[in-house]
Amino acid sequence: MSNELVTSRRGILGRLYHGETSFDFVGKRKIGFAISLILIVLTLGSLLTRGLNLGIDFEGGVAWQVPSSETMDVDAARAVLEENGVQTENAKVQTLTNGTTTSIRIQVGDQTAEVRAKIQSDLATKAKVDVNEVSVSSVSSSWGRSITEKAVRALIAFMVLVGIYIAWRFEWRMAFAAILAMLHDVLISVGVYSIIGFEVTPATVVAFLTILGFSLYDTIVVFDKVKDNIDKFGLSRTSMADITNVSMNQVLMRSLNTSLAAVLPVLSLLVLGSGVLGAIALREFAIALLVGLITGSYSSIYIASPLLSIFKQRESRYKNLKGIHATGAELAHMVITGGATGAKSIRRQNVDSDDSSAATQSSPTSTTLLTHPPRPRKKRRR
Amino acid sequence: MTRRLVISLVGLLVVVLGSFAGNLVADNTPALGLDLQGGISVTQEPVGEYDSASLDLAVERIRDRVDSLGVAEPEIIRQGDAIVVNLPGVDNQDEALRLVQVTGAVLLRPVLLAAPNSPVDTSSTTVADGSSTTVADGSSTSTPGDSSTSAPVTTFAVSTTAPGGPSRGVPQVATTVPGAETTTVPVGSTDAPSSASTLATETDSSTGTEAPLGAEAPAGSDVSSPTPPAAMGDPADPSATIIVQNTDGSEIYQLGPSFATGEVFNNDAKADIITSGWGVRVTLKSGSSGSDLWNVGAAQCFAKSTTCPTGRMAIVLDGVVQSAPSVNQPSFSGGVDITGSFKESEAKDLARVLKSGALPVRLEVQAVQIVSPTLGDDSLHAAVVSGLIGVLLVLLFMLAYYRLLAIVVVIGITLSGLVQWNVISLLSTTNGLALSLAGIAGIIVSIGVTVDSYVVFFEKLKDELKTGRSLKNSAERGFKSAWRTILAADIVSLIGAFTLWYLTVGSVRGFAFFLGLSTLCDIIIAWFFTRPAMLLLARTKRFQRGRIFGVDNTVNATGGAA
Repeated sequence: MSNELVTSRRGILGRLYHGETSFDFVGKRKIGFAISLILIVLTLGSLLTRGLNLGIDFEGGVAWQVPSSETMDVDAARAVLEENGVQTENAKVQTLTNGTTTSIRIQVGDQTAEVRAKIQSDLATKAKVDVNEVSVSSVSSSWGRSITEKAVRALIAFMVLVGIYIAWRFEWRMAFAAILAMLHDVLISVGVYSIIGFEVTPATVVAFLTILGFSLYDTIVVFDKVKDNIDKFGLSRTSMADITNVSMNQVLMRSLNTSLAAVLPVLSLLVLGSGVLGAIALREFAIALLVGLITGSYSSIYIASPLLSIFKQRESRYKNLKGIHATGAELAHMVITGGATGAKSIRRQNVDSDDSSAATQSSPTSTTLLTHPPRPRKKRRR
Repeated sequence: MTRRLVISLVGLLVVVLGSFAGNLVADNTPALGLDLQGGISVTQEPVGEYDSASLDLAVERIRDRVDSLGVAEPEIIRQGDAIVVNLPGVDNQDEALRLVQVTGAVLLRPVLLAAPNSPVDTSSTTVADGSSTTVADGSSTSTPGDSSTSAPVTTFAVSTTAPGGPSRGVPQVATTVPGAETTTVPVGSTDAPSSASTLATETDSSTGTEAPLGAEAPAGSDVSSPTPPAAMGDPADPSATIIVQNTDGSEIYQLGPSFATGEVFNNDAKADIITSGWGVRVTLKSGSSGSDLWNVGAAQCFAKSTTCPTGRMAIVLDGVVQSAPSVNQPSFSGGVDITGSFKESEAKDLARVLKSGALPVRLEVQAVQIVSPTLGDDSLHAAVVSGLIGVLLVLLFMLAYYRLLAIVVVIGITLSGLVQWNVISLLSTTNGLALSLAGIAGIIVSIGVTVDSYVVFFEKLKDELKTGRSLKNSAERGFKSAWRTILAADIVSLIGAFTLWYLTVGSVRGFAFFLGLSTLCDIIIAWFFTRPAMLLLARTKRFQRGRIFGVDNTVNATGGAA
């Protein structure tokens, strides 16, 4: 058994395709953390100064939608509001283009049923359309509040339950890292909405939840691999940083594939559904999904796993190995063979001074790597 | 082993395709939600004091009303305490609001006139001229009498002072003495000194034995009369004189102003066997808001005064007479028995009505949303088209990446789609589930998750191949470890779906349902399709030969073992 490192002879795409990359995710974790920190600061700043543009479903209020025409535009709509004694300062009046038709959407605070109906008929008269073509939505503010409360409560319950499950199925450190990563996703997605000023509707919430689920799912697949590798490298005194790096590289292709598979339909919804075919309801949804998908994929790679590696390093078995991690060729070797490098174990003996050298010297590392040594491959005709 | 795999594969195909065919034959298709079809959605929530049973009754009342209006595929859902009514295709907001606003409030009104509701529209004339002689009494075997005897009649009676207890010595006399007066003859009771516990007489002297009074309530709407009487007075206005029917439309009544509401009773009505037949026993609240009010009305009816000439008192819920018993004593204290020729189910329904009347639910409209159908049409079209194109792109991507292996993915996704279509179609028909825009989008997104289970599996398979194992062996080990991962990740999704479904309302809840459904599908397909399909494929010669998997056999580098 030689100490020669196995490295790939392929180009970057080939290595990616064959799962033989050797990116040093843990070493570069500070970059990821820094980016996230900036985003979170921006989010908090925007939330404090601008807040969220909540739709009537969360705040309560009334919204009318009327087909626009020569006689019906934003000003005409405002005029109708004023005629009915509704305050127009806080009213949101906007023009919506949905495919070939354009319409005006007017949104104000809670109104009585009479005012609602009156404005509906006034708008219809002004736009010269049938009353039934003016759609009205109304949500009482108490109901809006309870919807919001319920959503927040559901989210908290969701995190607690999922945390318990992960702690039970894997370990509590993973649960902690996964949930931190999820919170990170929520914060940043909310931040994007706050900064751009998109309206938050129930569809948005649904989309965020989808993403949370997806991001968590992604994180768990990565953690599962980490757990596999912890067992695999159990005897070989490999640092947590290395294990994480190896796992990340091994699942990188899967993560990219999966994210792509998830993004494709969403892009189709966004570009075709709301763009070409012009369904506005889809656009809100698709944008929220896209934002979330991107942060979700990013966080499982750059937040969840490095966090886990940091948490795990506190464990006694990894404490001594802190600070050691393989890069470049060594890492590639580990990724491809799933084993520690000979070169590194020699180096480790030097670092790890209080360890009696007798134990580590003897066995060549590669034999201890696989719990079940593979059956020798039968030679077949090429 | 091989046989088990084949059975699993064939079994799944048979079940999925079979139920698909079944659904096609039965013409079950997914119902479209409001946001796709256009219509009105009204969300109501109870305020003040109420109990869960009256809320259930309110939901049933709403359903009856909506059904009687013939709205196609209405969706009436109780989400926690909120009642959401989705009326696809309805565009009149006022009508929708009127339709869904029920209270469960029971009004007690004196019966001015009662007549069988014959298909020939004689009822209105009968009532109009106030003549009791025109009331047809068909094939009655009893003496033709005035209108009070010609109809099926149930009776009120006192159950002495001990509510719920058997009224010992209180006879239930089935008087069949001809003549109007006989119906209200109180039977003197020997052992009830103070409370004048007399009793009920009057049984069913009706013509049709099959049509006793009493509630067929919840299902009542399907048997409603083909010629509903012209409405007169607003049933919701307690002081109006109104003309209404009973629950099965067999009788029509002119009712005077209400003298009390169902709130005079305690919330303890229950169906019971009273002497020989089923009846309802309920106790009165004491004091001015209970027995006092009740007794004023009872006395009038007992005396057949001008305000209550028939001697009968109608129990009216939402403009439908649930029962109109004769009052057999001027004064009640403690409890009231309602007897007559009730079936058990009818007695139970009436008891439920009284319970809900004792504590009516006050529903407050929380949200009204009108979705214009054109928006719905566009959205649906866009969602379906772009969704399908999205799936197609994913499949193309899979094909490019995994080459021949992608066939398994294509078939797997198709099967998963069919399973979901089956479940949604079935639930649409049976449970009124409707596919919303959020639902469709949820399904489209779940394609990512479904594809992921294949990706996880294939990548593990590759790992195994790289360590130098045979294809057959790798497939087995690869699936085993992929299955663990898939299960762990899917269970997290399921936990999420369930939490959301349980704790939220509205579109989020709908979404959670579809997320849960697609996750379950993922698990089922992975185990019953992907596993056998891959393990069987891995044994074929064709697949064992080389590069088909996109896995290049450069494994020899590994450890230099070979």
